[in-house]
Amino acid sequence: MNLAMLKPGEHGKITKIGAIGQIKRRLMDMGVLVGEKVKVEKIAPLGDPIEVTIKNYNLSLRKKEAEGISVEVAK
Amino acid sequence: MSLESGVKSLELKETERKTITVAVAGNPNSGKSTLINAIAGTRLYVGNWPGVTVEKKSASLEYEGTNITLVDLPGTYSLSPYTQEEIIARDYLVHEKPDAIINVVDATNLERNLYLTVQLLELGIPVVMALNIHDEAVSKGYKIDIKTMEDILGIAVIPTVATKKTGLNDLLKAVTNNTSARHPKKLNYGSDIESAASAVEGQIKNGYPQLLEKYPLRWLAFKLMEGDSHVMEEINIGDYSFIEEAAKHLKKAHGDDVESIMADERYALASGLTHEVLKKPEFRKMELTEKIDNIVLNRFLGIPIFLAAMWVVFKLTFDFSAPFADWIDAMTTGPFKRWAEAVLGFIHAPAWTASLATDGIIAGVGFVIVFVPVIFAMMFFITFLEGSGYMARAAFVMDRAMHAIGLHGKSFIPMLLGFGCNVPAIYATRVLENPRDKALTSLLIPLMSCGARLPVYVVFIGAFFTAYAGTVLWSLYVMGIALAVLMGIIFKRTLFKGESPMFIMELPPYRMPSFRSLMIHTWEKGKHFLIKAGTYILAVSILVWFLLNLPWGVENKKDSYLGKMGQVIAPVLEPIGFGNWEAASSLVSGLIAKEIVVGTMGEIYVQKKDEKKELPALTDDLKEIGISFANAVKDSASNMISTFGIASISSEESTEEKEERSPLKDVIKNKFTPLSAYAFITFVLLYMPCVVVAIAMRQEFGTWKWFGIAFAYQMVLAWGVALMIYQGGKILGIGG
Repeated sequence: MNLAMLKPGEHGKITKIGAIGQIKRRLMDMGVLVGEKVKVEKIAPLGDPIEVTIKNYNLSLRKKEAEGISVEVAK
Repeated sequence: MSLESGVKSLELKETERKTITVAVAGNPNSGKSTLINAIAGTRLYVGNWPGVTVEKKSASLEYEGTNITLVDLPGTYSLSPYTQEEIIARDYLVHEKPDAIINVVDATNLERNLYLTVQLLELGIPVVMALNIHDEAVSKGYKIDIKTMEDILGIAVIPTVATKKTGLNDLLKAVTNNTSARHPKKLNYGSDIESAASAVEGQIKNGYPQLLEKYPLRWLAFKLMEGDSHVMEEINIGDYSFIEEAAKHLKKAHGDDVESIMADERYALASGLTHEVLKKPEFRKMELTEKIDNIVLNRFLGIPIFLAAMWVVFKLTFDFSAPFADWIDAMTTGPFKRWAEAVLGFIHAPAWTASLATDGIIAGVGFVIVFVPVIFAMMFFITFLEGSGYMARAAFVMDRAMHAIGLHGKSFIPMLLGFGCNVPAIYATRVLENPRDKALTSLLIPLMSCGARLPVYVVFIGAFFTAYAGTVLWSLYVMGIALAVLMGIIFKRTLFKGESPMFIMELPPYRMPSFRSLMIHTWEKGKHFLIKAGTYILAVSILVWFLLNLPWGVENKKDSYLGKMGQVIAPVLEPIGFGNWEAASSLVSGLIAKEIVVGTMGEIYVQKKDEKKELPALTDDLKEIGISFANAVKDSASNMISTFGIASISSEESTEEKEERSPLKDVIKNKFTPLSAYAFITFVLLYMPCVVVAIAMRQEFGTWKWFGIAFAYQMVLAWGVALMIYQGGKILGIGG
C-alpha cells in the first residue's frame, strides 16, 4: 500500500520511504517521516498531483513521488 | 516607543556605535518578507546573490545606537544542500558568520518551522526567534508558552505580527542586546548521535585544526557524519575514514543512512519542543483555507476558477497599463520630440543631431518607459497571487498539464502573460524556484504571440485576408501554442534531459498580503527594470538609429547600413517567399520590437511626404500633456471596471478602421502574394525574441546563454515553418 493509493479523506501511517537521494531528503525536510500520520485531502482536477495533510500543514506532491511512500491505512 | 522613533531617534557619535550583521532566516510563507519590509521599508536594497539568480535583499538601519545590516536569506525549509536557496543560506551563515540570526517562525505551524530552527542552532550563532503571525495563532486558540521555549532553546523568542508591525521594536531590542551575551543551548541529539559527533569533533580538533577557524565544530561534525558532499568537497581533506570509525556504532544501531537518522532526530526535537510549549484547543473548527480550497481545488470547479482568475489577472495587467503606455508613447513622439527639435533648431545644431536626439534618444527613452506601467502592474498581481497563497493552488491545478511538456504547474502564469507582452512574462518566471523550470519556461515564452506582433498581422490580414481575418489571426496564436508544446517536449528530451524536478510543495494557508509589502515589491521590480534594462535598451535603440542613418547623409534607405544588411540577408529569405531587401531590413529592425516591422516597412515602401505641421505652442503642449494623462487615468480605471463587465472592444475596432486606408497596404499587395504574406506573418510570429526580451533574459539568468539558445532555435523554427508553408503552398497551388 502506498500513499498514491489512498483516497481523499483516508488516513495512513508512513511505514517506509522508498524514494532515494534528493527526493527522499526533500520529503524528510518537509516532515514526511516514517511513523508520521498522513491524510490525503484532495486529488487535483486533472488527476495529479495530490494534496495531503502532514504535521499540521498541507503538502502537495506528484503521484510518482507518493508511490514511493509506503503507508499503513488507519481505520 | 514606536519602531520609527526607535530607529530614528538616536544621534550618537560614530565612535559610540557598534555595527552588527544580522541574517534573517525562515521557512517560505513564514512572513519573512513582510517582516523585513516592515523593519527596513524603503531602505531595502534588492540585488542578486553572487553568480545566481536568487534575489538578495539587504538593508542598513540604526537602532538605539547600533548599526544593523540586515541580510535576508532565501526562504528555506532546511539547511540541507539540495536546493540553490538552501546552499546560499547556509554558505552565508557558515562563511560570512553574521553576528546574529533572526529566525522567522510561523506560529501557526510550529513544528515544521522549528525543524529549521534546530538546524540554525547547530551553527552556534546567536539566534533571536520572531514568532510571527502570532495574532493568527492566538485567534485559533493556540497557547504558546514563550518562557519555556526560551529556556529550552536558550534564545530570545519575540512574538511578532509583521503585517501590523507588532513586536518589531522588541525584536530589534533583543537582537542588539543579545548578540554577544546570549548563546543558544546545545540540544541533545541522543546518546548515539552525540557520542559519534564528539568522536568526530575530537578527530577534527587533533587532525585538522585549520578547519576550526572556518567552520563551527559541531556543525562540521554533523555534516561529515551525514556525508554532505558539498562540505566534503569544500574542506578537501582526502581521508574520511575517521568518520566511518566514529559513526560505526551509530550506523550499527540505526542503519546506514545517517542523513535520515539526523533528519529524524531533528524532527523529534522539533516535535518534542512543540508538544512542550504548544496547547491547542480540543475542538478544531473548519478553517477558512479549507473552505476556500473545497471550492477552488474542486474536481469540476478547479480549472474553470483558475482560468477565470487568470483571465482577470491578464485583463487587469494589460488594461490597467495600456492607457499609460499609450500616453507615454504619445508624449515621447509628440511634445518631447517637438521640444527637442525646437531647442536644437534654436541653437542651430546640425540636422543629424536633431534626428539622433528625437528618433534615437527620445524614442529610445520612451521605448523603455513604455514598459514600466505593464511591469509594475504585472509585479503587483504576481506578488498578490504569491502572497495570498493562490499561486501554489494554481500550480496544483495546472501541474498535470504543464508537466506533460516538461514544465512546472506554475509555468502557466508566465506563459499566459506572454500573450500580452513577453517582457513581463520573462520577469514573471521568478515564481519558479527551480532554475531548470525557469530556463525552459523562458525559452518557450517567445512563442506566445505578444501584443506587439498584432500590428504586423493586422496590416497583412487587412491586405490579403479580410474575408477570413479571424481565422487567420486565430491560426497564428494556435500555431504558437502548438509549437511551444512541441518545443517543450523536444527540449525536455534534449537540453533538459534527466529527471524532471520534483514537485513537493507546500499549500500555505490563504492570507491577505500587506499592502506595504505589495507596493515595495512592485516598486523594486519596476525600478530595477528602469535602471538596468533601460540602459541596454537605450543603447540598442541608438545603435539602430545609426544603422538606419549611416553612412552620413544617406538618401536612399537601400544604401543605409540597415538596407545593406537587408540585401545580404534577402537571399536566405528567398525560399520562404520574401527574398527582397525591404522585407529583410524590416525584419532586422524588428529586433527592437516586432511592431517596428510595420513602421520600417512604411518608411521603406511608402515615399515620405513632407508634411508641414503647425507647431503648437509650449503652453498648448503642457495642457495637452495634462489632459491626456487625466484621460489615461480615466481609461485605465474604466478598463479595470469593464474587465468585470462586458469587454469593450470598441477601441480596437476603431484602430482597425483607421488602418484600412493606408497606402502601405496597397504596396504590400503588390509585393507579396497571399501565400508569401502568410509565410511572412508566420515568420514574424516565430523569429527571435525582441531586444527587451533578450535583456530581460540576461537580467534574470545573469548570462546571455538562454537568450542565445532562444534566438538560435527560433530562427531555425521560423525559417523552417515558413518554408513548409510557402513551398508546401506552392506545390498545392494555394494562394500563389
